[in-house]
Amino acid sequence: MNTAVFTKSLTDSRRALAGWALGTAAVGMTYASTYPSQRDNTASLPEALREALHIDATAAGYLHASVFGVILPLLAMIYGVSTGSRALAGDEESGRLDLLLAHPVTRTSLALQRFCALTVGAGAISLLVWLAMLAIRDSAGLTSVTPAEFLAQCVNLALLAVVFGALALGLGAALGRRTVVLATTATVGVLSYTAYAVAGQIGADWLAYASPFHYYIGGEPLKNGFQWGDGAVLAVTAVTVLAVGVMRFNRRDVG
Amino acid sequence: MENVIELRELTKRYGARRGLAGLTLEVRTGEVFGFLGPNGAGKSTTIRLLLDLIRPTSGTATVLGLSPRAQGTELRARTGYLAGDFVCDGRQNVRGYLRFLGALRGGVPQQHIDDLADRLGLDQNTRIRKLSKGNRQKVGLVQAFMHRPELLVLDEPTTGLDPLVQQTFLDLVTETAADGRTVFMSSHVMSEVEAVADRVGIIRDGRLAALDTVAHLRAGAVRDVEVTFETPVPQHAFADLPGADRLGLDITRTTLSGQVVGSPDALIKALAGYSVTGLRATEPALEEVFHSYYAGAEAAPRTSPSTAA
Repeated sequence: MNTAVFTKSLTDSRRALAGWALGTAAVGMTYASTYPSQRDNTASLPEALREALHIDATAAGYLHASVFGVILPLLAMIYGVSTGSRALAGDEESGRLDLLLAHPVTRTSLALQRFCALTVGAGAISLLVWLAMLAIRDSAGLTSVTPAEFLAQCVNLALLAVVFGALALGLGAALGRRTVVLATTATVGVLSYTAYAVAGQIGADWLAYASPFHYYIGGEPLKNGFQWGDGAVLAVTAVTVLAVGVMRFNRRDVG
Repeated sequence: MENVIELRELTKRYGARRGLAGLTLEVRTGEVFGFLGPNGAGKSTTIRLLLDLIRPTSGTATVLGLSPRAQGTELRARTGYLAGDFVCDGRQNVRGYLRFLGALRGGVPQQHIDDLADRLGLDQNTRIRKLSKGNRQKVGLVQAFMHRPELLVLDEPTTGLDPLVQQTFLDLVTETAADGRTVFMSSHVMSEVEAVADRVGIIRDGRLAALDTVAHLRAGAVRDVEVTFETPVPQHAFADLPGADRLGLDITRTTLSGQVVGSPDALIKALAGYSVTGLRATEPALEEVFHSYYAGAEAAPRTSPSTAA
């Protein structure tokens, strides 16, 4: 199988990807290292508020609520969406897709190779976040979370980026319009987060099950380690939205 | 296989706009086919259908005996394509980008790329983004020719090229045809294709308006002539020639000027009876033949809400 597109996608994006990975890891490290000072503040919050925000005073609880609960997934989503929307819709709008598709490459192969490059990127970002966490684990008082538990959460972080990347790539494959892709995925992102955050409070637990965030962090990998079922749901979701987008891509006109 | 491209009643509608309306056309193996028409007549639509970038509303296309939809990968492996508005990734230098496009085809000998770039005067060390329009077009030409495909599909290939490079391009086309390979090139200017094309098809409003060999078109074409004589000739010396109404003697009856349609044979024979001191005849202007087919054509495809519903 010809993997020229995959290789090219990665080499073209190597600088941007390095920036993303270093930036995300740095942000995660900065927030996580404030744990010792935040621990006391967290402990002083009212019980009900802590409950609502899914936080407690443990290291896992703090990371769950702040670093891995808000900042990192947001960055992962933005990475997934921006990379996924550029992958096909961006190329199509600029007219570059024509040239690639005039070569002996099937549309399915093109989409899959771009998706694989995106997945490798998501993995690289998460790997660096994991290494950053290990680096400050002692100094920031996070030793109650094992390296495996950090890894479990980082794997889910990568999968979250892949889900939103697949959504953006699949929509781009189906529609070919980058602005539509960005607007739709941003809406889906906000709705997913909201659904996950408020589901418990409005007594609609079922709502959380519709949100990728639930599978990303609901199983509390920082406390419970690998959540294979949740990971599988994310992976299957990604593959499904990608497959639907590619099916439509194969049937429509490009350009 | 006699025909490289076979189009049967090929129709493409874009919503209410009509791109192609039942185009039937055959392109033979080893010929250079000029595909002419005004902007918006359906040339690019046809070409994009051949490569399976878009799909026909009805009708069929066969390229190299293959179906664009079902056997697109093999079809495109054996075809070189240059888009009308060649757009490529600008971040890389020319060499790296051409190597990537070669890799998409499973590798192309660097020698082929270098030879083409040298002939066209393309510096491979420049970043594509920094290239002028003409130089970017050269990148497009190199990528279309570099794998020596059986069929070249070129949409307005000479756009932005200076006359010298245009000549190099025409040489490339001639060499390709001499190899027994086929070139299908579109243009909106006849003069671009008449030097190399064996046959031309003229498309108008999504239909084939005319199809003929260049030689035949030329036979019906018009030449401007001017003949000067040593001594005045009789007033009615050329009055019996076919098409004589387009020729006229000046007041001194020593200069005959005007136009000859088709073969100049009769005129030459009539001239032989006099002492000629000068003779000037222009190349037949196929452009005019072409314009006669254009007459009445609209610049853009017609909107036909009644048929598109």
